[in-house]
Amino acid sequence: MTSMLSIRNLHASVGGKAILKGINLEVKAGEVHAIMGPNGSGKSTLGNVIAGRDGYEVTQGEVLYQGKNLLELSPEDRACEGVFLAFQYPVEIPGVNNTYFLRAALNAQRKYRGQPELDSMEFLRLVKDKLEILHISDNLLHRAVNEGFSGGEKKRNEIFQMAVLEPSLAVLDETDSGLDIDALRLVAEGVNRLRSEDRSLIVVTHYQRLLEYIVPDQVHVLADGKIAASGDAELAVQLEQQGYTWLEQGGIASVDAASGQRPGA
Amino acid sequence: MNISPDIRTAGLADRLVASRPAELAAGGPEWLDAMRQVAQQHFLQSGLPGNRDEAWKYTSLRRLEQLAADMIPPGDRPADQAEAPIEPMWPMDAPGFSYRAGHWALRPQALPAGVSIQTLQESLQHADKAHARVLRDMLERVDVRGRQQAFAALNTAAMDTALVIRVAAGVDAGTCLAVWQSAGQTAAQLANVRVLLVLEPGARLRLLEQFQAEQFGDSAVAGQAMNLLWQAELGDGAELSHVRVQRDGAENVLLTFTDLAQQAGSQYRYAGFELSGGLVRHDISSRLLGPGAHADVSAAFVTDGERHVDHHVKIDHVSPGCSSEQFFRGVLGGHSRGVWNGKAIIRPGADGSSVRQSNANLLLSDLAEMDTKPELEIYADEVEASHGATVGQLDEKAVFYLRSRGLSEDLARRMLTAAFCHEVTGRLEDKQWAERIGQLLDEALQAMGLKAAGDL
Repeated sequence: MTSMLSIRNLHASVGGKAILKGINLEVKAGEVHAIMGPNGSGKSTLGNVIAGRDGYEVTQGEVLYQGKNLLELSPEDRACEGVFLAFQYPVEIPGVNNTYFLRAALNAQRKYRGQPELDSMEFLRLVKDKLEILHISDNLLHRAVNEGFSGGEKKRNEIFQMAVLEPSLAVLDETDSGLDIDALRLVAEGVNRLRSEDRSLIVVTHYQRLLEYIVPDQVHVLADGKIAASGDAELAVQLEQQGYTWLEQGGIASVDAASGQRPGA
Repeated sequence: MNISPDIRTAGLADRLVASRPAELAAGGPEWLDAMRQVAQQHFLQSGLPGNRDEAWKYTSLRRLEQLAADMIPPGDRPADQAEAPIEPMWPMDAPGFSYRAGHWALRPQALPAGVSIQTLQESLQHADKAHARVLRDMLERVDVRGRQQAFAALNTAAMDTALVIRVAAGVDAGTCLAVWQSAGQTAAQLANVRVLLVLEPGARLRLLEQFQAEQFGDSAVAGQAMNLLWQAELGDGAELSHVRVQRDGAENVLLTFTDLAQQAGSQYRYAGFELSGGLVRHDISSRLLGPGAHADVSAAFVTDGERHVDHHVKIDHVSPGCSSEQFFRGVLGGHSRGVWNGKAIIRPGADGSSVRQSNANLLLSDLAEMDTKPELEIYADEVEASHGATVGQLDEKAVFYLRSRGLSEDLARRMLTAAFCHEVTGRLEDKQWAERIGQLLDEALQAMGLKAAGDL
């Protein structure tokens, strides 16, 4: 399998404060990786660094995406290269219609890749197909981007955008937060439909619950800006049972015994 | 350069006041001529307003002074004007009139029965007694005293064109166009134009005003100045919708004063889109005289460079049971300046009044400046009032959100800025107009070069 994302010794700070302190992560095409960890461990920072948000300063290390240096690209070029971030808090944008915005985004990406732009009829056809697959009502198309959306609608709108933009690498930042169990299941189903051999997913989550629906190939536990433990889906279950405090109390050895992996391996 | 008010006035007076055209001066009723003489005296005595005057504190008239220095005397106006109607930048199959450099023309489309557009002269000659009385009252009502009223005085004294639009009781006039074209000739001029709108009880009119420059964007042409005074009388239940799209030359001075009297149940809706112009000021004032009268005044403006856009609104709730709304959005780049002063007065006894005011502004550059001032004067009980005024920048979280989907930073900023302005187009009842005006707004934003603004 080819490498999708290769993060080596990544250090990043926000407002002068070091948040990521040496992350190593290898994600191959088609894999789903879960990043778990307590609040403040740097989970969301990792997603924002990958997407290129201002104010997240990389002080050391590198991020290679499909062999390219991701860090030197603007956020829009990263998107055009196929990187997608599903936001933890999708932004409400009054006055910008969802359909108009998404078509502009898709066409910007197509133009970047040398593909012809879609006219509004072609775009609408594509969008209707995606809505059907995700079981999302089309009234979402007529509204302003995320404006007045419920928490669940916002998260589903993120997954809908992902379905339309068809990224190669998607980072889902706490897509489960604030969702009730039904909404969670719908979102997870949507994500599962988008799993494919040439698409990789990084699922950032605080709880194991989402991983019951989106079963990861690998689970990494982030603590204090480093990957403290890595394992298979079993690791998530173990974390759920024992909580993150157990990690800080030196429980890593038992994790390693359970999954047979060294941290960051 | 500091010019004392007296010199400024003298300079303008020489060139401006003496310009009463013969056609209006001769043959007009004596009372009109006397009124104009008085206005002229007031103008010469009081001079132009300046930063000592509250309502003019933020409005620099430097641009007008500069133009006045090069202005040709009115008698020497180049006769390069055919009296054919001028096509508007936004073509439309509707009747109305056009104006350019002291000459006006009716559009070829026929006016509906019960609707007339005439000069004041014609109107006074042919009017029935009641209508003549209405016109005279309207003219006499214009306050020409004091420095703050200098432009009203100048307009009265020196008006080169005065038109009357009359819509008879119960008649729906549909859409009428007013096309103003600033001339592209080499010498600066100042036009003083008056339009009186008389909507009799139950009458309806949709007025679409288009301001355009002969050579839009050509800075080589001399700046032109206009001092335009609209007066409107809305009878019981009359409805006036007034939409204005302004894309005047970037060096031009455009002073507009709109003054309304609204009777019971009348509706006034104004939506202005100020997309260009050098010094643009619009003072809108309405008196709500009968229960159920409603005034809804809104505008969006886009300004950059050294330009100035100014709105002064005053809604006077004289009668109980009236409502008014003010909704303004401004986008300022470069070194430009904007002013919004939104006033509502609730007179004693005007119970059950409702007032809403909203003014939000986007500053796209560190050098742009916006002065915003909501003012509520309430002397009655049981009043519902709300107001809000903000000055800020684009939401960077929103910019990043759009960029993270593949939109360039330039496009992301433009999209967000346009959305901000479209809050005003979104209020238009006619969705086709909203769409067309939205395009014109987008063009104006594109011309601003928002990417540079983002780098600041």
